[in-house]
Amino acid sequence: MKRRNVAIIGCGQTKHSSRRRDVNVAEMVSEAVYNALEDAQVNVKDIGAFVVGNMPGFGGVAQPEQWLAESIGAAGKPVIRIATGGSTGGSVGQGGYYVVASGLHDLVVAAAWEKHSDSKEAGATTGLLHVGLGNFFHAASYGLSLKNLVATSVVGAAAGVAVYQAVFYMHRSGCRIEHLDMVAAKCRRNAAKNKYAHLQWPGCTPEDIAKTEMVTYPFRFGHICPASDGASAIVIADESLALKKGKQVAWFKGLASYTDEENQLQSENFGGVGVTDPSEQRGCWLSAMKAYKMAGIVDPSKEIDVAEIYQPFPSQELFFAERLGLFDEGTAWMALEKGETEINGRMPCDPSGGVNATNAIGSSAMQRILECALQIMGKAEEHQVPKKVRNAVAHGWGGVTNFSTVTVLGDTPGR
Amino acid sequence: MRRRVAIVGYAQSHHQHNMQKTREDMVFEVCNEALRHAGIRRDDLDTVITASSDFLDGRTISSVFLSMAVGAFMKDESKVEEDGTFALYYALMRILAGTHDVALVEAHTQGSTMNPHQVSCYTLDPQFDRQIGVLNDIAAAALQARMCMHSHGVSEEHLAMVAVKNISNAAANPSAHRRMPKVTVEEVMGSKVLCDPIRELMMSPISDGACAVILASEEKAKKITDKPVWIEGIGSCQDAYLRDRNLQRLDSLQAAAKTAYKMAGIKDPSSELDVAEVSEKFAHEELMIYEALGLCREGEGRKLLEKGTTAKGGKLPVNPSGGALGADPVCATGLIRVVEAAKQIRGEAVGYQVPEVKRALAHGQFGMCAQKNTVLVLGGNGS
Repeated sequence: MKRRNVAIIGCGQTKHSSRRRDVNVAEMVSEAVYNALEDAQVNVKDIGAFVVGNMPGFGGVAQPEQWLAESIGAAGKPVIRIATGGSTGGSVGQGGYYVVASGLHDLVVAAAWEKHSDSKEAGATTGLLHVGLGNFFHAASYGLSLKNLVATSVVGAAAGVAVYQAVFYMHRSGCRIEHLDMVAAKCRRNAAKNKYAHLQWPGCTPEDIAKTEMVTYPFRFGHICPASDGASAIVIADESLALKKGKQVAWFKGLASYTDEENQLQSENFGGVGVTDPSEQRGCWLSAMKAYKMAGIVDPSKEIDVAEIYQPFPSQELFFAERLGLFDEGTAWMALEKGETEINGRMPCDPSGGVNATNAIGSSAMQRILECALQIMGKAEEHQVPKKVRNAVAHGWGGVTNFSTVTVLGDTPGR
Repeated sequence: MRRRVAIVGYAQSHHQHNMQKTREDMVFEVCNEALRHAGIRRDDLDTVITASSDFLDGRTISSVFLSMAVGAFMKDESKVEEDGTFALYYALMRILAGTHDVALVEAHTQGSTMNPHQVSCYTLDPQFDRQIGVLNDIAAAALQARMCMHSHGVSEEHLAMVAVKNISNAAANPSAHRRMPKVTVEEVMGSKVLCDPIRELMMSPISDGACAVILASEEKAKKITDKPVWIEGIGSCQDAYLRDRNLQRLDSLQAAAKTAYKMAGIKDPSSELDVAEVSEKFAHEELMIYEALGLCREGEGRKLLEKGTTAKGGKLPVNPSGGALGADPVCATGLIRVVEAAKQIRGEAVGYQVPEVKRALAHGQFGMCAQKNTVLVLGGNGS
């Protein structure tokens, strides 16, 4: 069956910072949504449906879309709330695609956000602890089992999972801690060119990062993403509306979101197939394969012009770039050394500064899609890559290392 | 719709207050049963969409440890955080898009983990309503019930009659939570007042439960089963926040129903539908739902009830399964309505089967005072 051609026709986001004290959640989200509507030159009355999402606990509000519907013009319309952890933004963006692709609606807003400062939780780095804490309900109901207690106590939040991942990758690829410094420095420098980014550091060098304190091996303080307040939104339209704009739009060419087994001591109850290497990321690999197939991309390392990778920790930019087929297995750090992933490099990775510089969790994976769209539309301003962008890949990642979203955008619809 | 999509298999748990099973076990059993019911294998699934809530499951990223239990391992999947009918809506869209053919939809809540009424406080405006601390979903429903009673001549006895109808229906449904076959109006009126006029038996119970539905595109559905239940129409809508809407009306339900009826080509729902399964979390909501669904004129919901039109043997039975008053595992409740409607069409509702059902309606809601609603019109091969 023929698929409907669907495009992103407008992008909007807010400035990201540690504390947006000037706005509440509803006001912050509406800022991004109305920026996107303005960019798309669309009236909110014409929007057929909304897809929204954030990490539920982090802003301290359950089902916030019920409270903020009117602030974004969603009252009286279908609203779907999607939440999948760190990959939420990617899942929301993909949800927006499916609403238009289904033919049920022609014009949709997808919005994702996080306002960490409204809760006492530094969600970006410690939020995952609660994933494991759920096990205590089991313990209370069914008695304490040693394996659940151990699994709960060692999950160690996002950084706690990511260190295992980093060390596995470093061990099998030959990547060293210096390379993590290089990624982090690149993100800070790129972020300085992105007016919406959080941690901006013009001219940051790997040596600057290396001077920061070691937090938990192999991560230094300078490697770790911030917890940001911010929102992002995209306007998604069917082919006839998109073509009417008469401007370059970003077409959805391929997308998928495969899940792997959760990595918490070989799954919660030792019952799974046992992911022993959390940097293996088969879900990401499968998602990428399907998305490229849909997009008609045979060799992503040649056909992709820019990548926006979800990398709260610098090691993730390297192994996810490999999983997305941009570099051969175990070679991303070599490409990094050669400067290939810089804004003006052969394969720019995260020209926006990425999640490493700005992490408003629910919004982070949405921003990857949004940034790819900006690159295709040529609207990325200072961090626009200096070449014609025909295809871009946006990646999202979450769960306990098991959720992945991969979205391929292009300058023409379909193949 | 761009292509026809059918329900080809389903399953639900035996809903009860404390299931004495882990969430993972409960979900696994139901998903496995749904696959068995459809007669397909996990390998046949293209996508899995689940519905659960972090606040209700009491953990961050509620779906994270369930990827294997729901059969999503190494599959293209996602999760909505609200009622299961929204997960079904999303799964349907994936099939309509032409990117997937067979989808499993799963929804669950274990109400015994986190009290859903406590959780409802966290959905309030955090700057004002939550700080005041007088509102939760029961208090909001009580305000709505009073408005409904005041303007449409509804008495507490009417609310009790709704409760008696649904709770006694639930007694014949082996999956339902409440088991009170001989419940009377006096018993309901004598149950504990939670928030005047809402009494314990006028409100849905706190249940543990899960539900799973398998959807397939027309080509696949015809291969999988001889008795597909077609999705003829679907509509969804969300109202403004509690303080910004007219609580006396379910405008978003009305809009959702209008969309679904238009898609299904229904002009007179009260004569074209044979049975309806609706999510009435409180007794008064069922009367408001009659009106919003266009089964009667505005303000005349109580008359349908008085005349027995919506009773099990009536012209248009509503909730022969017992509805949400029979069992309410929050996120699963709407999806259970879909399963019950499908069972009626396939003639599988043993013990509470309505004769000759060709077309059925299923409704799911989420949020205080039914803020967001999804309506489905289902039909069998003959409809």
